[in-house]
Amino acid sequence: MNKAKPMMSNRTLTLQVNGQPQTLEVPSGQILLETLREALDLVGARNSCGIGMCGTCTVLVDGMAISSCLTLTAQVEGKHITTIEGLSQNGQLHPVQQAYIDHGAFQCAYCTPGLILSTVALLNEHVNPDDATVREYLAGNLCRCGSYVNILNAVRACHTIND
Amino acid sequence: MAIGKSVPMLDSVARVTGTVPYASNLKLPDMLVGKVFRSSVPHARTIKLDVSAAEQLPGVVAIVTAADFAGDDTPNLHFGSTIQDQPVVAGDRIRFIGEPVALIAAESVVIADQAMDLIELEYEEIPAIFDAEEALLPGAPVLHEAFPDNLLGHSKLRRGDIEAGFAAADEIFEEVFSSPVAQQASLETQVAAARWKDGKLTVWTGSQSPYTVRRVLSAIFDLDVEDVRVIVPPLGGGFGGKGNIRTQPMAAALAWKVGDRPVKLVMTRAEEFLTVTKHAAKIIVKSGVKLDGTFTARKVTIYWNAGAYASSSAHLVPAGMLRALGPYRIPAGHVDSYGIYTNLPIAAAYRGAMSSQGVFAHESHMDTIAHRLGIDPLELRIKNLLRTDDIFATGERLHDIHFVECLEAAADGLGWHEPLQRENGTVKKRGRGVAVMMKNTIANSSSECRIKLDAEGRVTLYTSTVETGQGGHTAMAQIAAEALGVPIEALTVIGPDTAETPPDAQTASSRSTHMMGNAVLNGAASLRQHLAEAAAPILEWSPEDLSVADGYVFVTTQPQERIPYAEVLGRKNIAALTATGKYWTNEGKLDPETGQGISTPDWHQGAGACEVEVDTQTGKVTVLRYHSASFAGRVVNPTLAGLQNDGNVIFGLGASLLEEVAIDGGQITNPNLSDYMLPSFLDIPVELKNVSLEAEGSTFQGIGEMTLPPVAPAIANAIYDAVGARIRDLPLTAEKVLRVIHEQGEADDEQ
Repeated sequence: MNKAKPMMSNRTLTLQVNGQPQTLEVPSGQILLETLREALDLVGARNSCGIGMCGTCTVLVDGMAISSCLTLTAQVEGKHITTIEGLSQNGQLHPVQQAYIDHGAFQCAYCTPGLILSTVALLNEHVNPDDATVREYLAGNLCRCGSYVNILNAVRACHTIND
Repeated sequence: MAIGKSVPMLDSVARVTGTVPYASNLKLPDMLVGKVFRSSVPHARTIKLDVSAAEQLPGVVAIVTAADFAGDDTPNLHFGSTIQDQPVVAGDRIRFIGEPVALIAAESVVIADQAMDLIELEYEEIPAIFDAEEALLPGAPVLHEAFPDNLLGHSKLRRGDIEAGFAAADEIFEEVFSSPVAQQASLETQVAAARWKDGKLTVWTGSQSPYTVRRVLSAIFDLDVEDVRVIVPPLGGGFGGKGNIRTQPMAAALAWKVGDRPVKLVMTRAEEFLTVTKHAAKIIVKSGVKLDGTFTARKVTIYWNAGAYASSSAHLVPAGMLRALGPYRIPAGHVDSYGIYTNLPIAAAYRGAMSSQGVFAHESHMDTIAHRLGIDPLELRIKNLLRTDDIFATGERLHDIHFVECLEAAADGLGWHEPLQRENGTVKKRGRGVAVMMKNTIANSSSECRIKLDAEGRVTLYTSTVETGQGGHTAMAQIAAEALGVPIEALTVIGPDTAETPPDAQTASSRSTHMMGNAVLNGAASLRQHLAEAAAPILEWSPEDLSVADGYVFVTTQPQERIPYAEVLGRKNIAALTATGKYWTNEGKLDPETGQGISTPDWHQGAGACEVEVDTQTGKVTVLRYHSASFAGRVVNPTLAGLQNDGNVIFGLGASLLEEVAIDGGQITNPNLSDYMLPSFLDIPVELKNVSLEAEGSTFQGIGEMTLPPVAPAIANAIYDAVGARIRDLPLTAEKVLRVIHEQGEADDEQ
């Protein structure tokens, strides 16, 4: 009795990852999170819940925050993907990253790359968001250590960055 | 002064750039994927386990079953840090749904998953038991033959004449409280990778207990402890769930069977729920009280549901006993704390372990008493709270006691004495509640460290304190920097690696800042002594005439005669000076029949106060404002301390309002973060404040849990204050609140 599942076919595609074109051969059913972590060694996006509930796998696709655990790599062919590794430029931290440090907005930091990328997306969409908007926007990124108050302070500080 | 400053975590840049080297990121050459085949029945005798088809699948490298442990030269099947009752994989007996039965090492997850489908397990089901109290009844199914009554531990506290105390009371109060199974839910799941080389084992794992892992693995594989190396990178959360032994024996057994390639085992989110949980508890509290609010007696009975194997329950059940009476002056106190085997996944520490369940009970109970006697709940507590020099129920004299200050700080922060607008003409009503907690720490334990100063003036601290996210390494660096008189930038911290960092009991029970912090102070004092001895011939003074501070060795009476540390080493041609530091406590040896003795070097203390809004149409509870306070003794890092306090409250909000592992016939039905909900940004109070209390002359005290256990009773008390509904069963869901409101309405209608 052979219960083995059929093997997935591979597919060659090109992604724009952190500003660089990446041509990869990946199984057609592979999720973006696995491609980033395994093929590209970009481990800032993390697996945790596997069902899009916790936000640790958040990356930006054309500037929008998405769950890379629910996204097939094939779905984002040709699109621009920003991971936490691509946020700092020339060794300079992104202002949101610096704000998170300045306000002690993390503990174990497993959630932090996802939260920072969601914050970047939030600030792309909203100029000087009020606290209620921030809470609503970031509610998809869980922090089990419970650094939410400091995260809110960090995001508030980012307002002045935009000004 | 490095202590008392909000230094950012040492590896802050790694934390915001995604480069923290978690165990889950580990990649080793030729590494295989580990996978666990699990039972689907709660209690059974294994008849046949056939893995032959799975073994033949291309890409499967090894499969481990209990048969691999059956010979004379094989590893030992059973392990345990206290009671050796747990098999690495189930043998002839299965004791819970999800118990590991076979382990697969394969070239990929896809292949391992295919191999899972090829494993055939035949078994004969036998009756199972899931309720802890029922498991004690005669005739209940027995899990372990060595424990025919399913009782793995019974801790007793006996102080005073309990019956005389109840007889002297004006009123007797008795209530029953319950807390459900919950899950620690670290965002990084359990990880263990193992590799064997030349008969020696190396394990990389996200663990709070590296030295416990080393000891237990050496026992399983009959190795000298030095032949097991345990390396622990920073954790993506721990919260107790990564304490003791979890998946490490499985990873080590797979790598042992494979032989020459490393194997990495990562739990899926669903498996995390099968690996470790929080103890469900049923707690009966009975108090005798005078009409003026003075206590005459209290009796507490606790049934802890330990699940199928003892794991850390053997030492947690006594801890639960100590914390059950609450921090009150009660002349007669009896506690019976029962740890009980059932056919459920293993229960172990969950942040605030064995405190949260008991504090929910005694602090809800305090409000029941206060309302009945017509005494303000805060006043009743302050009247009865233990003070320094009081004698606790263990017979020990208390020192550094600050329960009243903690409670008042929380209550004042909330504005307890300010008027509250209870209604605004809508269906929503508001109320307030307070609660306070006490917990012992792990007594009779030790922490060691090593500190090295090199000729460039750099200081390296070797510590087995695990960086769980609490900032433990940063706090230790601050303590070392101040004690050695060097800037924090001079510090490097080397984290747990049993081949390099000295022994430490574990990073648990909020012990590290106190225990390892004092070990660092001890090591720094030795290093200063070494510096003085090395500098003495250069300065031509004897070592006892020299002082060591602020980067210089100097003549105490003539501070201008000084020499920088680096120069001391350079001129003496010393590459590095090294000192070890140690701190230990010998408490915790209590009389097994009475619980009398000194239970803990220090009591952990915390409190909370909150204001909630209850929607009387839906039962929904919203915590609007929450103020917490913990006793920190001396704060090492205010920002990190604040994160502990706030983080505790948020963790506690989950356990209070959201978290319950749903179980049907032993089967967990919500093992995912959709149905098992954790607090998000939308669940936290709009006003969330905390304070860490210090005291003159105090040392560093643990604050990793203290503001958590008060959360559930503070909210439950506020719900009662708002709508008169007393919920004694966690979590405090809208359904339960609404049911009690309706029951009250029906009772009112009948009158």
